[in-house]
Amino acid sequence: MALKEEKVIVIDPDKCTGCHSCEMACSMKHFGKTHSHFSRIRIQEFREVNTFIPVTCQACEDAPCIKVCPMNARIRLESGAVVTNEDKCIGCRACVYACPFGAPVVNPDNGKTMSCDLCMEDEMGPWCVKACTLQQALKFVNARDAARAKGRDMARIIAEDYMPPKQDSDEFAFSFSV
Amino acid sequence: MKVVIVGNGIAGNEVASFLREHGTDKEIDITIISAEKFPEYDPCSLPYFVGGEVDRDVVFRKTLDYYKDSNINLVLDNKAVSIDSKAKKVTTEKGDVFPYDSLVLGHGGSLFIPPIPGVNLEGIFSCKVLAEADKLAKHKGTKAVVIGSGAIGIEAAEALKLKGYQVTIIELLGWIMPTLFCEGASRFLEDEMRGYGIEVFTSEKVLSIEGDGSVELVKTDKREIPCDTVVVATGVVPGRPLAETGGVACERGILVNNYMLTNVEDIYACGDCVQTYDACTGEGCMYQLKHNAIEQARIVARNILGEKVEYTGAYPFARAHYFDTHAVTFGKTMKGAERICSLDEVEAIERRNMNGYLRVLLKDGKIIGGQAIGKVADYTGLLMGCMWRGDDLHEFRENWPAIAALGSPYPWQARKLGQLLGLSALDAKGTKGSDRVKAILK
Repeated sequence: MALKEEKVIVIDPDKCTGCHSCEMACSMKHFGKTHSHFSRIRIQEFREVNTFIPVTCQACEDAPCIKVCPMNARIRLESGAVVTNEDKCIGCRACVYACPFGAPVVNPDNGKTMSCDLCMEDEMGPWCVKACTLQQALKFVNARDAARAKGRDMARIIAEDYMPPKQDSDEFAFSFSV
Repeated sequence: MKVVIVGNGIAGNEVASFLREHGTDKEIDITIISAEKFPEYDPCSLPYFVGGEVDRDVVFRKTLDYYKDSNINLVLDNKAVSIDSKAKKVTTEKGDVFPYDSLVLGHGGSLFIPPIPGVNLEGIFSCKVLAEADKLAKHKGTKAVVIGSGAIGIEAAEALKLKGYQVTIIELLGWIMPTLFCEGASRFLEDEMRGYGIEVFTSEKVLSIEGDGSVELVKTDKREIPCDTVVVATGVVPGRPLAETGGVACERGILVNNYMLTNVEDIYACGDCVQTYDACTGEGCMYQLKHNAIEQARIVARNILGEKVEYTGAYPFARAHYFDTHAVTFGKTMKGAERICSLDEVEAIERRNMNGYLRVLLKDGKIIGGQAIGKVADYTGLLMGCMWRGDDLHEFRENWPAIAALGSPYPWQARKLGQLLGLSALDAKGTKGSDRVKAILK
């Protein structure tokens, strides 16, 4: 399942500035209003250390929300996204509680849960990613590329530990002259 | 290969559809023997159908066409009554004989009907199977008594209230949902329930149900409640009798090993009828919850297909939801913890603020359970993750300054967890924050 050409939203929290544009874009796309309570992505704020974490549905491979839903309203779409079938949902929030991130959001209008559907019917791709073009904290990439890119980044960090310290040109010259 | 599955519930169907989906290279002949007349439906959703929140077709997980299309032989309205494990045959009450190569017991449990005088009167229902739920949905009455306050009892009470009944809940033990919540949380839920207009009587025993033909009165040891509808929700007993005819070992439920195999060769069991072990504490348990049934069924199916996959254990996770009140519970309650250790070893963290109520139980610094009501419950997943990994929260508290400091390598979940447990971000600032400023000034 994972190795299909699925596209996923990749989050880089280091780049997030906490501007909440993604929330606005999301609620605009799905409800035509700009209100963070209607957004399926949310920013977890830790203001005391200036850290902002965009949190959205990760469409887990073995999703706990699908298993615990009493009405079988949580379904996986062909695109890989896990969404709520609003006709069946009764708003019990089991999916919110079972989620490792608390990612599903409760729709304030009808009390039913909703989560990221990747804006699949839209040619432009997910609106939140478009809204984050400047910061690049959200990216929409192939699942395989995402794993590869992350591995590459980690490898670079590890490699830096093993590389000789960078030296200024003066020191460099000095070390050779000895 | 002939696979016979007893029980057309969630576990049985998960085995069947998993075998069909993943065993494409093998010739598998699948038969499901069901005691009921319907294709697979979800018992969890029955109270919402009774209450009229959803249509009847929503409770079904599969249609009859599905079985035809995927070539699964579905035998309806025919209860399996005996197993001959030597000749490898299952016999049903209508006398049909089904030979098998692998047998899966997924028939779940039957409702426990307490031996109360008058429990067979008209107007007494249960809410566990669809046939009963249908009757309850059609029944017209004004005053209802729900005996038992487990998850089903609470949901049935909400459903009846939504239908306009005057509802009373009677619980034998000290507080409602005694296996799911500790006393404090439960009292809060009880008050909420009264606020919605549902009467709750705890520590009361039903002595008899009286009436001439149909129900008129429920008599407890403290009062008499006139009513025209009674819902019995006093728990589920695992279906051991069938298993015992085949020589399968049972304790509280059917005993299985890590491969979900019983002590008899080629007989697997999964779902509500098995007794497995807790994933975190390791003691024997029967949680009878949907997600455990699905996981067990997948393990069974993979083992039938020839993989050797071990089950990692069951875990309790349940939510209670009625009207606008949302509560969640996971792991052990104080009462459940009593079974594995003395209560002196258990440390309870309790927090109550405008965002709701949170209670976390620790043993040796490790989370063994918790309950939450309200907005804080959204982060239950973080606590459950901790419980799964066996994180030491005492160590976590000591490390808190490092976790909460700027640029800490810990994931955000750790920081959020600290906030949930009431660790102040200022603690961290006091030490590390000032160091940071000094470092910048240098």
